[in-house]
Amino acid sequence: MKLHKSRRVAPAVPLASMGDIAFLLTIFFILTSNFAKDDTRKIAPPSAGELEELERQNVSVSIDSEGAMFFNGRPVASPATIEAGVAGFLAGKKAAQDRLVVFRCDKGVDKKVFEPVLAAISKAGGVIAAVGEESRSATRN
Amino acid sequence: MALARRREQCELEIPTDSVSDIAFLLIIFFILTTTLNKLSGFTAELPSAAANQQQAKSDAKTPTVQLANGKLLFDEREVSMAALRERLLDLRLANRQGEERIVMLEAAGQVDYQTYYEVMAAISAAGGVVAIVEEDE
Repeated sequence: MKLHKSRRVAPAVPLASMGDIAFLLTIFFILTSNFAKDDTRKIAPPSAGELEELERQNVSVSIDSEGAMFFNGRPVASPATIEAGVAGFLAGKKAAQDRLVVFRCDKGVDKKVFEPVLAAISKAGGVIAAVGEESRSATRN
Repeated sequence: MALARRREQCELEIPTDSVSDIAFLLIIFFILTTTLNKLSGFTAELPSAAANQQQAKSDAKTPTVQLANGKLLFDEREVSMAALRERLLDLRLANRQGEERIVMLEAAGQVDYQTYYEVMAAISAAGGVVAIVEEDE
């Protein structure tokens, strides 16, 4: 008697839901991403001991190695412009947590450049969140 | 003709084969642009510059850190960075209130941000409030 050969079904990977999975991942990344406003490639951060973790903020001021100043990633000419910009962003905010301004500065920049900027942020009512790197040798000292 | 009417109508479909490719390209974009590193540093609320100057003149007892041409002075005595941290901790600034927490920071001559940052971090870690004394032009 002849036995009927069962038809072999070609193995197929189910790809129908791949697009859905990919879009779910995309939505996840969109919601959790923080787009970098500042180009930090030209900023070598200073190091110190006993630093704490800082929360990301909407307002940022940075000074690169050439002394160029940036407010929220846009180049600005003077500390006065930074003061006006920070004051505008912080208008109506009273709690210290809401007035944080992320400050990045290259470690080699001279005080004649960064000190007026620090003063401008404080005059505008900002609380400076100075970004740096944890230095292990500094904590041992 | 009847034959023409029977012509099968093609079902209209949106081509979705490349949707997953597009989505994965977006994922790769977001992975590359996401910053996973966390910010570290310290927070400091600086009193206004004008108030600092008045404070410096009126209150001689306010602890003062001076940076001048590579030298670090605490209350006009040269100290190392480690000694400065100890001296600031000894002041127990965190237990004080209001203006008693202020530590004046005065820089003269050429001072880079690295040195300035270390001093500010030390003052903040000790619970002090940094008050910048700006150099007169």
